[in-house]
Amino acid sequence: MPGFASLLAASAAVRVASLNMCTDEYLLLLARPQEIASVSRLSRDPADSSLWRLGRRFPGNRGDLESALKTRPNLLITMGGGGKSTALIAGKMGLRTLDLPFPMTIGDVASNMDRVAAALGEPARSSPWKRHLARLQAPHQAAKDAIFLGAGGNSVGARSVEAEWMRLAGLRQRSLPGGRASLEMLATRPPAVLLRSAYRRSERSLGQTWLEHPLARPKSSKVIPVDGRPWTCAGPLMLGEVQRLRGLL
Amino acid sequence: MTSLVARQIGIPGRLQRTDLDVRSGELVALVGPNGGGKTSLLRALARIENASGVVAVDGEDLDLAPLARRRRLLSFLPASRDVIWPIAARDVIALGLDRPNPTRVEELIGLLELDLLADRPVSRLSTGERARILLARALAGNPQILLLDEPLSNLDPYWVLRIISILETTARSGQSVLVALHDLSQLPRFGRALLIAEGQVQMDETPASLVASERFEQVFRIHAAEGGWEVSCQAGPRSSP
Amino acid sequence: MRLLLVLLLLVAAVAHLLLPFGPLREAHAVDPGLADLILIQLRLPRTLLALGYGATLGISGAALQAMFANPLASPDISGASSGAALGAVIGGYWLGLTQPLLLAACGAAGALGTLALLVALAGRRADTTTLLLAGLALALAAGAATSLALALAPSPFAFYDAYDWLMGNFADRSLAQAAAALVPASLASVLLLRRAHALDLTALGEDVAASLGLRPRRLGLEVIALSAIAVGACVSVAGAIGFVGLVAPVFGRSISRGHPGSAMIPAALIGAILLAAADLVVRSVPLDRPIPVGVVTALFGTPLFVWLVVTMRRRVTA
Repeated sequence: MPGFASLLAASAAVRVASLNMCTDEYLLLLARPQEIASVSRLSRDPADSSLWRLGRRFPGNRGDLESALKTRPNLLITMGGGGKSTALIAGKMGLRTLDLPFPMTIGDVASNMDRVAAALGEPARSSPWKRHLARLQAPHQAAKDAIFLGAGGNSVGARSVEAEWMRLAGLRQRSLPGGRASLEMLATRPPAVLLRSAYRRSERSLGQTWLEHPLARPKSSKVIPVDGRPWTCAGPLMLGEVQRLRGLL
Repeated sequence: MTSLVARQIGIPGRLQRTDLDVRSGELVALVGPNGGGKTSLLRALARIENASGVVAVDGEDLDLAPLARRRRLLSFLPASRDVIWPIAARDVIALGLDRPNPTRVEELIGLLELDLLADRPVSRLSTGERARILLARALAGNPQILLLDEPLSNLDPYWVLRIISILETTARSGQSVLVALHDLSQLPRFGRALLIAEGQVQMDETPASLVASERFEQVFRIHAAEGGWEVSCQAGPRSSP
Repeated sequence: MRLLLVLLLLVAAVAHLLLPFGPLREAHAVDPGLADLILIQLRLPRTLLALGYGATLGISGAALQAMFANPLASPDISGASSGAALGAVIGGYWLGLTQPLLLAACGAAGALGTLALLVALAGRRADTTTLLLAGLALALAAGAATSLALALAPSPFAFYDAYDWLMGNFADRSLAQAAAALVPASLASVLLLRRAHALDLTALGEDVAASLGLRPRRLGLEVIALSAIAVGACVSVAGAIGFVGLVAPVFGRSISRGHPGSAMIPAALIGAILLAAADLVVRSVPLDRPIPVGVVTALFGTPLFVWLVVTMRRRVTA
């Protein structure tokens, strides 16, 4: 339906629908309210997103274009593809799409910020964030041995983007077999710093019970509770996390 | 000397409230049609199934007697011969004692000719063999009162006669024995017979006069004749099978 | 024979506690207190749970079999274990209870409810077919309900916990959890053991037991309640583990010369040994994925279960 698309184009203002919680982060940080058509449901859920209060001001979608259509976006942001039906419908409607790659490094996160800012029509919008990042990237003291601990002992990879963020805070994520910390290892070789994720802590599961084992709080480690939500995407919100951790260490 | 005194015992729907006195040394037969209440009377005396009334043995109220005493006062043998568990025959007999007494167990094994079966699991023996073992269990504790529900059914003629004579000996030594009988052929060997039908004790006399009575003929629809029994022609329709 | 069992139990307990020995030695080299820490905080709860849960299954399995007068009755076949899992899952994931003793109570409630349903469906003196059908139906239904409850629970990770709940897991349990399971289980088991002679007498039939002054209905209710508490508490910490409660009493009875009540103690020893051995197998398999304990117990339990059914058929037709 090219007519529809041209009507929207005629209005000239960009209206963005973000179909993914991780792309929501970029959108919510960079866009003005009238530019946001909808964000994914997860960004409106306090259990999953630290931006939920902001996210609730906008309509929610279920991660596919059909649910975002009624808010009449003219730009779609997806991450890692977005699904066949999304591409199909977008093509038919003449909608612009922007697909962000999964960030493997902090540099990728910065690139994604630039891409979204450009799609919004003002590339300069990503500059404040990048300046903040540059300040944090200034050299600092040697990194301490650390482990990020989630439910069930699950951790992050030693070369992952999460580990890069930890490096900015002066922490070196230990390389763990299977990406998981065992109680025995925590007892025999406790890390200098232990980051305990509070993600969904009130929702019971065996993984949460695991975290309450006495050995999951090694006495010789500095235990720092962290809000696990920004870690899910390990995207632009991690700047705040790094800043906070630096203050605590 | 009265060893069993029962007052107002009954089971709702099966046995009307009744009184019964049995002296020590009595060998009593309970006869009657199926479903008439023979088993119910025995169960009421054994205090099974929330039976009403009071039963006293040698002056002791059964319901108030401590568990250890009860085995010496009364023993009940149901008609069912099932034992699920593969318990050794010897051990089944010993269940009738409240204190281990291997001599007594051996005595009963000899009495009921269980020597070859003594250590075999009872669940794998034949019905007749189990019947003897369970009877031995009932006799083991030398209880004052023995309540036996159809102990002679499905036994070889040899064992029918042997068991009757064992029961006669038991009675002679001072215990009271009540036996529910289905087969009337052994009735003459009992000293007293009760006719139980429609949930009540309808007659309580010697076997001879019981058998000769009109009531007997009405209930059973047979009468004694030369060499056995004969069907009575003038019987009307009756509910019992 | 009993002496041999006790020795075997000690061997199993020590092996379960100390193996694999390597990590303990390494920890000791770093700091002697470290090896103790691992032993007490990590290994000990696991060993206590394996032994205690196994013993509980043996005792309640024997008691249930005595009470139902059926060698196939057991916590798993009667649905009690699955019901306990359902109770614990609803209490933990839906009601948000975290206190281990409260969760044990939820497990007990679940087991009790399922056993009550079984008695209502099949009756207490049901024949084998009826008991088996009703019990298995309840076990399957409760298992499915547990999976559903996990899938619909608030936490999105709950669903992946299903394996642990339905097939058992002793890993990473704390001393507090072990206590929450084993204290109620021990109390209930002791009370069950005190009824051993009464249960022996039920072998003669309910009528004879009643004539001896026992009260079969009350005894039945007590056995059900105590088994539910014991099994429910264990399931709330380690999940539902099958076959041990079925198989241990069978061997227990061959030691007690067939007496169903006296079989409880040997069944307890055998159950503890079996479950500790099964957990040892689970821990020594060199896979990076964990195998639930219930898989191992099913492996050795299934052939025994089949043998049981076949011998029962033969006996009935004889």
